[in-house]
Amino acid sequence: MNKIQITIIVILLAALLAFPQFITSESVLNLAVYVLLYVSIASSWNVLGGFAGQTNLGHAAFFGVGALVTRMLWFAGWNIFASMVIGALVAVVLALIIGVPAFRLRGVYFAIGTLALSQILLITVGNTFSTISSIPTEDLKVYSLVPRYYMFLGVALLTIVTAYVLLNSRFGLGITAVREEEDAAESLGVSALKYKMLAFGISAFFGGLTGGAFAFYHVGYYPQLTFGPEWTFDSMMMAYIGGVGTIVGPVIGAVFFVVLREFLALRFAEFHLIIFGVLFILVVLFLPDGFMGIWEKIRKRLLRRSK
Amino acid sequence: MLEAFAQNLVYGVLIGALYGLAAVGLSLVFGVTKFLNVAHGEFLMVGGYASFWLFTLWQVDPFVSLPAAIVSLLVLGAVFYQALFSRMVKLTEGVKIQNTLLIGFGVSLILQNLALKLWTADTRSITTAYSGQVFNFLGIRFPLVRVASLLIALVLVIALQLFLRRTYTGKALRATVENWEAATLMGIDIHRVYLLSFVMGAALAGVAGALVGVGYSIEPGMGMSWTLKSLVVMVLGGLGSITGTFVGGIILGLTESATGFIALMAGGGLTYKEVVGLVLFLLVLVFRPEGLFGSKEG
Amino acid sequence: MLKLDTINAFYADLQALWGISFEVNAGELVALVGPNGAGKTTTLRIISGLLKPQSGTVTFDGKTLNTEPAHKIVELGLCQVLEGGKVFTGMSVLENLELGAFVPQARQVKNQTLKHVYEIFPRLAERKNQRAGTLSGGERQMLAIGRALMSKPKLLMLDEPSFGLAPILVDQMFQMINEINKQGTTVLLVEQNVRASIDIAHRAYVIENGRIVGHGSGEQLLSFESVRSAYLGDSHA
Repeated sequence: MNKIQITIIVILLAALLAFPQFITSESVLNLAVYVLLYVSIASSWNVLGGFAGQTNLGHAAFFGVGALVTRMLWFAGWNIFASMVIGALVAVVLALIIGVPAFRLRGVYFAIGTLALSQILLITVGNTFSTISSIPTEDLKVYSLVPRYYMFLGVALLTIVTAYVLLNSRFGLGITAVREEEDAAESLGVSALKYKMLAFGISAFFGGLTGGAFAFYHVGYYPQLTFGPEWTFDSMMMAYIGGVGTIVGPVIGAVFFVVLREFLALRFAEFHLIIFGVLFILVVLFLPDGFMGIWEKIRKRLLRRSK
Repeated sequence: MLEAFAQNLVYGVLIGALYGLAAVGLSLVFGVTKFLNVAHGEFLMVGGYASFWLFTLWQVDPFVSLPAAIVSLLVLGAVFYQALFSRMVKLTEGVKIQNTLLIGFGVSLILQNLALKLWTADTRSITTAYSGQVFNFLGIRFPLVRVASLLIALVLVIALQLFLRRTYTGKALRATVENWEAATLMGIDIHRVYLLSFVMGAALAGVAGALVGVGYSIEPGMGMSWTLKSLVVMVLGGLGSITGTFVGGIILGLTESATGFIALMAGGGLTYKEVVGLVLFLLVLVFRPEGLFGSKEG
Repeated sequence: MLKLDTINAFYADLQALWGISFEVNAGELVALVGPNGAGKTTTLRIISGLLKPQSGTVTFDGKTLNTEPAHKIVELGLCQVLEGGKVFTGMSVLENLELGAFVPQARQVKNQTLKHVYEIFPRLAERKNQRAGTLSGGERQMLAIGRALMSKPKLLMLDEPSFGLAPILVDQMFQMINEINKQGTTVLLVEQNVRASIDIAHRAYVIENGRIVGHGSGEQLLSFESVRSAYLGDSHA
């Protein structure tokens, strides 16, 4: 990182930290919470789907498990942080269980297998926990959005920083090697399975942690909600639109997603999903590196001109 | 009790035939093109609404309008193929599967939300004058429209099988499945073969959708569940076998209805039957990835 | 009949062919010989349209092939047999042969051609209803050549037809190729088995590292020092 980048990051951080001190509008704060939530979930999806190139169509399972476990422990009187960590760890265990058999089969089977897993959980959870899960009235009296905002900010930062450290570590090299050429990576002595599992574990952990933050945030919802396939699909779209396999891509994708959704919701109600569908297809076909790809091109052109 | 169980199994076979029909379409496309079209369920949904529309607006009998459902899906399939999927033909298999999966997902999102706009989220069903008709055999009820649907599915699958075995074009499709380069060197135009199998897959989904609309019900969000079921059946039946896939569909139908029955007897929810297929699928993936009937290809 | 003019070709970023030029006249049997990885198969793929050249032209009967898709090139009378044959293993021998006659003009005379192919390869007639996957390596190679003949090619291109065959079969295979050529089909033969190919070929080109390095009649080539030492194992010459 150069000086300019560090300066930008410091200013951004300060702004994010100070944000609730200046903004008191609940709807704006809620919007900020959703941006941070999507940043976390998209970034966590990206660790496996982007860095390691394994399309996970069942990320909702990890988000949901994190939310479910956190909610149960928290309501049982546990500390919220401990509840969230346990929730995230349960998500990791789930990932490890499904990962070994699913990774033995390449490509398409991993995608379909994870989708099947999340649908199994969606249906089972819907059957088992059929009543709405609400924050108890006495807690609701002291409910405030500001700590929720900071919770999501913390999770988002932790996810991004972990992704950054991971990508720039020895493990990061192994993980991206898996994506580039699985056979070659294997022959180079990189144990493909080990790196895929590592990426899957980290991805599930932060997916689960984000779910935990959601459990801390949401006043009342059906537990099934957090297992819905849209959590996966939105994450995937945000990552691709922003720039899959990069650190900044999912962040930009998430901001873009939430802002555009708000903007469209005002005028065209549910049309935002159609627009995102079209945008997503266009990105896959013509801009495989998303917005980050465009930025990269512009930067290179500017650099060439300044020389 | 036993009768009720038998009745359930009959229902299982009847719905299973439609699972089989939908899965045969998906499997045909995947086998020939290695495109994983996850919008298959949405194609099915569109077929259902096409039939529903013709019936509601112009009172066209859903069985009479089947050709119209087929034609509309042929056109829809061709449009999506030419606009999007045709760009994937030259990619290596892994990248192809991955990219078509992503594209198909985008397509399903668009179709599903368009359907929401056009027809609202309400569950619809085509109710004809004969919809309620049932004939009894050995004390078991056979709903007329569902039996007719099973027969139509069976005829289509046999026709497809004959097409693939007997005609030059069908053989060209099979040759492309085995080795597209060798097929090209026979003078076979791969693009046309891909297009043909893609639209045929879409048309099969369309018929299945229309039959679901008349025997059961349709809604805009049904696509994902049908795509998953088709995928499950495709893997269960072993890739590349039309008969195996169709039988796989019936097995899924049977398993679901048996599970539903047992769950109901045990006081559980009926929705568990939705899970059983997926669990079966995961088990097959882990223990027998070549499918229940498939043989390992060298 | 077939003419390649300064063909340059790439696989991804790697240049595989460097200014390849050669020609094959009607009725000839021309061999293209060279070591593994020299660019022999790439050259065939360029001619049959499976790979498009970066620059240079391929002309066949005066028609430029550069922009023609591979399946159209077959219709023009140019047919390539892939290395290892690549028969459709899930289909019967007969179905394989029928597919060979896929192009319209070949389909019209399918039955006559079939009879002819069975005469050249009686073994295929015996096994016509068997699944191609059950055939031996040699039989598969025969089927692949037979299948290519079904398209009534003016020029037949063979990629390593002797590869992996038992020594007795190798001789037979070269005799059959010679026979096919004598009956009027022009043949471009790609081989690592230099001696056997030079023996039956009218002319041969030597390709190394993507470049044509030698050319001549069979006997002329045998006098090439490099050919002798490199491909005939004749290091004492």
